[in-house]
Amino acid sequence: MNIAPRYLGRGSWLARRDPRLLVLVVVLFVATVSQVWDGRAVVGLVIIAFGYYALAGIPFREVRRNWIAALTLITIIVLVNTVLTGSRFEGIVQHSFFALPLIGTPVSAESLSYAVTQWLRYAAMLAVGFPVAFCVSPSDFGVTFARLGIPYKLAFAVDLTFRFLPSLAGEYQQTIDAQRVRGYEPGSGGNPVARLRRSVPILVPFAVNAIVGAEDTIDAMDLRGFGTGQRTWLRHLAFDRTDRIVLLAFVALLVGATIAGFTTTTSHPWTPQFLIRLAGG
Amino acid sequence: MTTMKMERGALWEVNSRTIVYAAIGAALYGVLQLFSFLLPGTQNVDVRPAFAIVTFFGYAFGPVVGLFTGFVGNMIGDQLRGYGLLTYWNWSLAGGLVGLIVGLAPLYLSRWVNGNLRDRAIGGAVAAAVGVVIGFIFIFSDIWVGGSSANQLLTTGYVPIVVSDLIVGIILTPILVYAWEPVKEQLGR
Repeated sequence: MNIAPRYLGRGSWLARRDPRLLVLVVVLFVATVSQVWDGRAVVGLVIIAFGYYALAGIPFREVRRNWIAALTLITIIVLVNTVLTGSRFEGIVQHSFFALPLIGTPVSAESLSYAVTQWLRYAAMLAVGFPVAFCVSPSDFGVTFARLGIPYKLAFAVDLTFRFLPSLAGEYQQTIDAQRVRGYEPGSGGNPVARLRRSVPILVPFAVNAIVGAEDTIDAMDLRGFGTGQRTWLRHLAFDRTDRIVLLAFVALLVGATIAGFTTTTSHPWTPQFLIRLAGG
Repeated sequence: MTTMKMERGALWEVNSRTIVYAAIGAALYGVLQLFSFLLPGTQNVDVRPAFAIVTFFGYAFGPVVGLFTGFVGNMIGDQLRGYGLLTYWNWSLAGGLVGLIVGLAPLYLSRWVNGNLRDRAIGGAVAAAVGVVIGFIFIFSDIWVGGSSANQLLTTGYVPIVVSDLIVGIILTPILVYAWEPVKEQLGR
């Protein structure tokens, strides 16, 4: 079983950037998108996000399932949020198409455009988030967070987490095999409690063995004096000119969105006139 | 750092043991998250046996390990599923807060935490319940991050996730405590 993070963007333009840039871009972009509700501005952000995503060079066939799962999830969230509950529009004049049977929530020009805007916002955030998953070498996460100012012990823990993944995945499979030899059948169906109970023969030995196995790592770290002084990292990270330009561009985007939020209507939902006319408004 | 019976001052200690337990916890949680099943009657909320790792590691090894296990473990799970570490950062932080609150059990459940094995197992279940109910309040940050409504977050986010993780935490945390305690004695911890 191989569940190590997939470094699919290896060699791409984004993968050649300083990994701190990819992390900072997500933070800056999410902060930007969170302030924008005007659908026209959101479309602009979507174009920027997918332009950025294209630079990651991630083969689509390798991530098709990830995209389907992620888009399904945000579609469900948006449907439930805006169409079914509709609570965002209490006290606002709505140009209603019809009311949903049983629950009576109006489906209006305003709620539809809000739903589309929210869906686009989530899609843009995903497009900027995916490169972190596929364009940063798993061995670089520790030094990335350390150089972003996270205390080095915690950054080392992040590094260690990624190193534990492949061996733990192997041990997980071994635990399942060992229990099957003893007659364990994972099965399917049943109520959640029954299914939880069936997970116990796997979960408990797997977790306890992992903790016991960690003792060797603790001893090795103690013997090397871990924690007695600031440690250095083998991998050196340095922003080049291109990294700085990209970073500045995303900082400018955030500043621009913040200023626009106070001075224009970008922080308010926008409803296209044709939808209002369609609703008979 | 000893486990379970922790001095108050030692709660926030970060040493090699804390680091390794935190990393193991996050990796375990990340790996096990790939194996969850949908809670009947909900659209997108899993019953995650893996979540017991967060409550157990918080309870057994303290708030720093609990916070790291929940926060980084959830990010690792998202990373493995290809969403990226930070895309759902506030949900990850909510999981981390659960681990943190469970890890603070010696402060609010000292009688159970310092009792016999049965008491400590019960304490684990109670701490898991307290942690889940309080920690996941942070998902309401989606009101600002994602523009969701409080109503929607309550009905399709908070309540289902709290119900499913309460089931997991209350059942599996004491089982893990019962399994870990004899091993801990053998290891001399």
